[in-house]
Amino acid sequence: MAMALRWPLGRSRGATAKPALPLTLAQVASLGLLLALAQVPQAPHVPLWVACIGLALVGVRLVLEWRAHRRGRSFPHLPAFVLALAAVAIAFLIRKTYGYFVGRDPCVAFLFALVGIKFLEVRTMRDGTLLVCLAIFLLVTPFFYSQSLATALFALPAIVAVGAALDALAHRDASANFATMRASWRRTLVMLAQGLPIAAALFVLFPRLASPLWGLPADRAAATGLSDTMSPGSISELSLSDAIAFRVDFDGAVPPPRLRYWRGPVLSTFDGREWRALPPQAGGRLLQGDAPTSRYTVTLEANDHPWLFALDFPATLPDIDAAGMRGRGGALAGYSREQQFILRSPLTQPIRYTLESLLVDAYPVASPREVAMNRRTPRGNPRTADFVRGMRGKYPDDRRFISAVLQWFHAEPFFYTLSPPLLDEPEPVDEFLFDTRRGFCEHYASAFVVMLRDAGIAARVVTGYQGGEINPRGGYMIVRQSDAHAWAEAVIDGRWQRFDPTAAVAPSRIDRGLYGSVPASDPVPLFAREDGGWLKGLQLAVDAINHQWRRHVVEFNRDRQRALWREWKIDAFAPWQMVVVVTMGVVAWAIVVLLAFALRRKRRERAIVLWEAACRRLARAGLPRLPYEGPLAFAERAARRWPQFAIALRAIGESFTALRYGTAASRERERNALLATLERAIDALPRASRLRAMSQG
Amino acid sequence: MMGQAAAVPQHLVAKLRQRAFRHAPADRAPVVLRHSRIYILPTRRGYAVIATLLLMLLTSLNYALSLGLAVTFLLGGLVAAALLHTFRNLAGIEIKPLSAGDAFAGDELVFTLSLAAGSVERRAITIAANGADTTASVAAGVLATVPLAVAAARRGRLPLGRVTLSSSYPLALWRGFAYVHFPLTGVVYPSPEASAPPLPAGDYGADAHAEGRGDESDLAGLRDYQRGDPLQRVAWKAVARGAGWFSKAFEGTATGGPVTLEWSRLPPELDTEARLSRLTAWILAAERSAQPFALAMPGCVLPRAADAEHRRAALTALALFPTGAR
Repeated sequence: MAMALRWPLGRSRGATAKPALPLTLAQVASLGLLLALAQVPQAPHVPLWVACIGLALVGVRLVLEWRAHRRGRSFPHLPAFVLALAAVAIAFLIRKTYGYFVGRDPCVAFLFALVGIKFLEVRTMRDGTLLVCLAIFLLVTPFFYSQSLATALFALPAIVAVGAALDALAHRDASANFATMRASWRRTLVMLAQGLPIAAALFVLFPRLASPLWGLPADRAAATGLSDTMSPGSISELSLSDAIAFRVDFDGAVPPPRLRYWRGPVLSTFDGREWRALPPQAGGRLLQGDAPTSRYTVTLEANDHPWLFALDFPATLPDIDAAGMRGRGGALAGYSREQQFILRSPLTQPIRYTLESLLVDAYPVASPREVAMNRRTPRGNPRTADFVRGMRGKYPDDRRFISAVLQWFHAEPFFYTLSPPLLDEPEPVDEFLFDTRRGFCEHYASAFVVMLRDAGIAARVVTGYQGGEINPRGGYMIVRQSDAHAWAEAVIDGRWQRFDPTAAVAPSRIDRGLYGSVPASDPVPLFAREDGGWLKGLQLAVDAINHQWRRHVVEFNRDRQRALWREWKIDAFAPWQMVVVVTMGVVAWAIVVLLAFALRRKRRERAIVLWEAACRRLARAGLPRLPYEGPLAFAERAARRWPQFAIALRAIGESFTALRYGTAASRERERNALLATLERAIDALPRASRLRAMSQG
Repeated sequence: MMGQAAAVPQHLVAKLRQRAFRHAPADRAPVVLRHSRIYILPTRRGYAVIATLLLMLLTSLNYALSLGLAVTFLLGGLVAAALLHTFRNLAGIEIKPLSAGDAFAGDELVFTLSLAAGSVERRAITIAANGADTTASVAAGVLATVPLAVAAARRGRLPLGRVTLSSSYPLALWRGFAYVHFPLTGVVYPSPEASAPPLPAGDYGADAHAEGRGDESDLAGLRDYQRGDPLQRVAWKAVARGAGWFSKAFEGTATGGPVTLEWSRLPPELDTEARLSRLTAWILAAERSAQPFALAMPGCVLPRAADAEHRRAALTALALFPTGAR
């Protein structure tokens, strides 16, 4: 059944050379939607003013375009130099905000603003193409900052919008409108689904880099987490954060809370107010012994510091498993004398490592010089010095002196609180020990170490995390920033011995976490509370999903990839064989997709499907269509049999005839109207059994 | 290697070139587009998007962004699927030459092709040949007639040339195209002289010609219409009544009498093309006034007649007159 179609008369090119068509409202809207969807996930990671400007420019253009369209005018265009000036000005401001420009963060911020500026002046198809490319690149930038499941889900609509925008731009003849936009989205979804096997194969097979091609510029991001200094208030501030520091999967039994000291920076120098770490020195020795051990895998979030956290005290080197790190163990710079693993470069991406720790609370001193360095106290704090002198007179033995100090902390009215009063210079330790007596772990650790040093005992502050919470939904432990802690260690009998003055003041901090130990009026973060309620349960469930996501998708790095290849025996192929296999795979994919098209093509036209359904129903009702009978004649015969449904029956025959043999059916709208008529008419007929009963009656 | 390359028979190379580029008009109607004929290359937009994806790939690899890679590969899959859609949009189209029209030099000659969509809708198909192009969509099951108006610059034969069917549906990232080359040729007549002198006097002398002019009403009767009768003589009233097709028969030399258009009688200062132009103008004038004419020129003598077939034969003779000949 061939129908004639009037085709626009083709003309020689000279006659038709038209100027580049301006974009239609629908095309501009598709682009704007794409940009907005690409910008929104990125917005939290750029300065607020950049986010506002970038999004506002997109909005302004959309509103202006729409208003111009309603008045039947085309969008007035700004001169190019104005926009160029705006771009330069924004680049300058970004330079001012960050203090530098050539780096990841300022460039991402600039790109964010740039798409807005470009969108303001987008005019032709070429501009549209450029904008789509910029938007595509903007899609990956949020992953610099977060690769959580939520970020990934946020990117999905934008991915579909990329296809829809390209589709809208592909309408060269200004025929793109809002009706075609819906078709664009549907078509893009189909194509994304068809491309999924290719995407999955590439994800698994595309070789990852062993080391970065170019240096990762050290961006000065302010990640929350411990630092290598400590002043009053620095850890209590951290304790207000629910952010996750790291997660731990234990191989065997989970150690009890009082043994969960996750060792971080060790602080040795004190200027009266602030504790600082010494430059790390290699020469740490791994502990050996017959104490209980624990083997575990830590997934550490990026924290912009070059150190790993380990349970006191490591017995093996960590087995590092991270993309972009130079091979196994190569990322590790060394094991410091303070029993801390130091990396070669600050951690800018999550890292996973496995190691074993000996669950003890003391380790041997590395050198006599180390002991001497940890005896120095700054001048000042005379009341403390007097008090220590008096106490030292009573307890000349180091061990007994320390016990006495801890006992004193326990017995005197010291309070453990997240909101201690501010301490005035210049004698903060004096003021804390004898006046305010309200403090957080850093106050206690600091004062305790100062007292020990005044007494001539080498001591230092250790920061890290204490505790952690098991996620019942994943069986792994979450250690949050609110678990940040500071404790002390002192040299006893040639060994560094751990002491936790906080435990003397608030023993429950160690056993039950932060919430169990501070006054109820303190602003404890929600998820550090024990009774976080359903919200906490929900958060734990989400975190379990995120943890799996992280393990299987985000951290699918070179090592994991190779392991998977080994498991699937893919690594047995030579590279050229791999190329052949992949080519064959692509060809097979193309054939399957094209065959699926062909199968769908065979699926009969909807009109025939409906008609045959109607014929079957009438046949079951006792009126089969005769082989030579046309649709109109059959409908007429049926109408005589069931006069009460004559209208519907005739409508069925007529609409089907028009659909199959009429000229109107070549126009989509009329076709759809006819199909709707056919469908409604068939719906109006009762079931076959009822029809049969009626004809008998 | 050189020796081997030289050893490849010349005709095999020619065959391969023909298969690839269809330079010669050797296609027999109808042609159904299959994978062997369809080429697909990225458009400029396609190159831009692919370059962007490569940049994203590098960035994601360098920063070890698994999700960046996932997004890159998803969009890569989209680009790959778009290629298949582009292919499917072209594959299975059936194209046939229908007719080649005629035109005067300087006008446009309309070639007509037919394009059968087959079982799927064909979207935004561009058909281009010889500097003309046209774009449209064809619904499934529809047979479309495609007119292509090619500029006819010079008199003579005008082949349609190689037809390029192309489409960058759906995302304009890929342009699929196929070459079809039918031996379809139209004739371009010389352009009629703009202000040509009046027709030469009729064969019965200037008087008869002058008389005949005022004698149009000297209708002898109606006779059955024969194909080729001038349209001016069709009895339109009878046609409109539905009585059938008749031509008016006139008494004797009713419309001015037959003329003979002779090459040799043209002013000698005219060159070949000018002569052809003038003869063309005269043929058109004779047709307008429904006068039978005879044509005598080197290599071609056409006896007196007045029908359309005769006119076409005369104009074709003028169109194909060898250049430079006298």
